[in-house]
Amino acid sequence: MEQEQQILQRFQRDSEWFYRNINSLRKKGFVGKFVAIKNSEPIASDKNITSMIEELSEKGENPSFLFIEFVHPEGFTLIL
Amino acid sequence: MLRIPVEVNFFAGGFRPMLNVILSLKDPKIFLPVKGIIDTGSPTTLVGIKDMIRMRLSKLQIKKIESRKEEVNVGGGTVETIKLENMKIRIGDYLETELNIKFPIKGENEKQPTLLGVDFLEKRRAKFYFNPSKKEAYLEIDD
Repeated sequence: MEQEQQILQRFQRDSEWFYRNINSLRKKGFVGKFVAIKNSEPIASDKNITSMIEELSEKGENPSFLFIEFVHPEGFTLIL
Repeated sequence: MLRIPVEVNFFAGGFRPMLNVILSLKDPKIFLPVKGIIDTGSPTTLVGIKDMIRMRLSKLQIKKIESRKEEVNVGGGTVETIKLENMKIRIGDYLETELNIKFPIKGENEKQPTLLGVDFLEKRRAKFYFNPSKKEAYLEIDD
């Protein structure tokens, strides 16, 4: 239970970091790519999510525990 | 009265109410933190394709639950889903509940976020407050 809580807390911190730094990520060339964040840092990025998940697994990361999001271009609107 | 804070983030063109939850199940074994958008326009909770891929379910695991396949229309497209029954959904230390959750197995839009639908609110008789101009949102649940 405690470990689950730690995973959720890190996931939450990394997701907050993503939304605070989305413009900086855009400037650094992540637009149009999925980005994996760990400890407030992008650790992988790719246009193809499946390739990125494979890359993360090869690096010994568990993608289930990582915050991963797509960086949309500025001005892009997604209607759900 | 339990009040659960909900994040408000600017995402893909507008402010969205978002909640970090853990989805878990014993068989197939799943433990997945996700950030879902609370979507009162969606009757059901639907995990995004990206989050489904993060789980790395094997073809065998998917085959075992394929009998529960359903098609869902999302944003003008169709997504083939499997329904995982009685999945645990936990919001930090606030609460844990069980819900039937749809997971996509075929669909084109990998950018589709996870949606926490009305079924999620209804299950716990939660009321949802959202004020985008003040970036304020929360769930209220009667004790």
